Amino acid sequence: MTKVLDARGLNKSFGGVWALKDLSVDQAPGETLGMIGPNGSGKTTFINAVTGHLALDGGEVFLDGKTITGRKPHVIAQAGLIRTYQAVRVYAQLPVSENLRVAGLPHFRRLGFSDPLDGAEDLLVKLSLKEKTEAVAGSLTLFEQRRLELAMRLISRPKLIMLDEPVGGLNPGEIREMIQLLKGLRAECGLFVIEHTMKVIMELADRVVVLVSGEMIANGAPAAILQDANVIRQYLGAVRATSR
Amino acid sequence: MAYRRAALVGLVILALALPFLFSASRFYAFILGVTYLYILWSSGMNLLSGFTGLMPLMYAGLAGVGAYTTVNLVMKFGVSFWLAMPAGALAAALVGVVLGLPSLRLRGFYFTLSGLVIQTALTMLFVYIPQFTGGDTGISQIPPPLISLPGDRSFPLAGVWLEEALAVAALLTVYVVHRVTQSTLGKYLVAIREDDLLTEALGIGVTRYRVLAFFISSLFAGVGGAFYAHYVGFVSPRSFDVLTSLNIWLIVGFGGQGTILGPIVGAVILAPIPYLMQEFYLYKDIVYGSLIVFTTIFLPRGVYGSLLFHRRTRTSARGKSEAARS
Repeated sequence: MTKVLDARGLNKSFGGVWALKDLSVDQAPGETLGMIGPNGSGKTTFINAVTGHLALDGGEVFLDGKTITGRKPHVIAQAGLIRTYQAVRVYAQLPVSENLRVAGLPHFRRLGFSDPLDGAEDLLVKLSLKEKTEAVAGSLTLFEQRRLELAMRLISRPKLIMLDEPVGGLNPGEIREMIQLLKGLRAECGLFVIEHTMKVIMELADRVVVLVSGEMIANGAPAAILQDANVIRQYLGAVRATSR
Repeated sequence: MAYRRAALVGLVILALALPFLFSASRFYAFILGVTYLYILWSSGMNLLSGFTGLMPLMYAGLAGVGAYTTVNLVMKFGVSFWLAMPAGALAAALVGVVLGLPSLRLRGFYFTLSGLVIQTALTMLFVYIPQFTGGDTGISQIPPPLISLPGDRSFPLAGVWLEEALAVAALLTVYVVHRVTQSTLGKYLVAIREDDLLTEALGIGVTRYRVLAFFISSLFAGVGGAFYAHYVGFVSPRSFDVLTSLNIWLIVGFGGQGTILGPIVGAVILAPIPYLMQEFYLYKDIVYGSLIVFTTIFLPRGVYGSLLFHRRTRTSARGKSEAARS
């Protein structure tokens, strides 16, 4: 079966420091892939490189079997691979409906719809934003903005969404809700999730990739990763040591 | 809605009637004509500076390209103004895109800076090709546009009729800019202004739409340049230097960036000042400067932009309290 995402041998260095070192990651259709690792291990660099925001020094990326290596971000988004940012990013000055319209406009013709807001109604209901349709996005709470961000990705009917810390800044109750929300999305599109919070990864991911200094040090089921001696030494151990 | 339509029709009628009302005095009629020119220019620039978030400091230089192209076609090759003017506009837009293409990948400050470089280069170019521009001396006695009538007759479009033509050109520009901002392109431009990285990530080719906005905006720079030359009758490199760019930009900002009526308000208030205060030339710049400082401090969104903003926040506050009551 064709992988939804297949990144082979990615290399990227910044002034002699390896940000990504011969990194190969693939993701099966319907699979939710998690990526963890300490700060500066190259997680966001990986998203940047795969989605065309950063030029690679080497390696190839395939989406659904077709190469997207070296393509521009908007072309990759049109192909069905779309990302979110670590810090929430919406058009703060525009109403929620306009945010969705802008997100839908570049895709609706390709999808065979007659209106850029096709499906927006359902999305707003699903993400509990119906009441906020006319509110200016900047006036929403962080959690609402995070959900709007998701809606703006989902309206393009992507094959895969890459989420860079989707629960960053949320409180425990909101994190629980967000996990449920994301679980509900797994049937519609692939999810790739970078997270610091192990709880989120444990609940959400089918498989976890552990990155340290741009290299993959482990790859497997979440439960197995937790037991992996190497991971504990290089990542989890460090977390425990600092949290003590 | 009906009220807005009536106001709009009234404004159009007023714009077309004013040249006749002012026709008794050539002086005031000329100021009116210049104001129309600045409405045209500032509306065109607003598409870029207001709606796309790029400040084109080379705008006057591009207007110069349009003006010199048109003047040369008319005076050297005997081309009709009405054919030469679109050619001049196209030349301005093409020169703008070719020179601007590398800088359109830049954002904010760096785009502005590269605009300054392009503007300086164009000003020097105008000085160094006197066979087309008359060099520092400029070109004088530029004839007014000719209107040809059936039977080989033609009459020069002068006086009040030229001001009418300027009024129509200004109204058309405002209309076209309005239509662009309502279109998909317009939505993309605002999105690019608000957050270009996010816009690119959502699947919108930011650079392509920036170039398109720049092309359209430069067309209006060229149209304005062509009309300026044949209205004022004299052009020199100083007509199209960086100060002219800044002046147009001030008008946009003073009236309200990113609004349709803002540039009109700005031009109506600011464009006549240098002429009306000619006798008080010592205080002219003080008045001009004070108005701008006052607006920047008290009405940072511009005169019309602030009005629009306060009305919007008032209605949304009312909407909220009504929602709370129900």
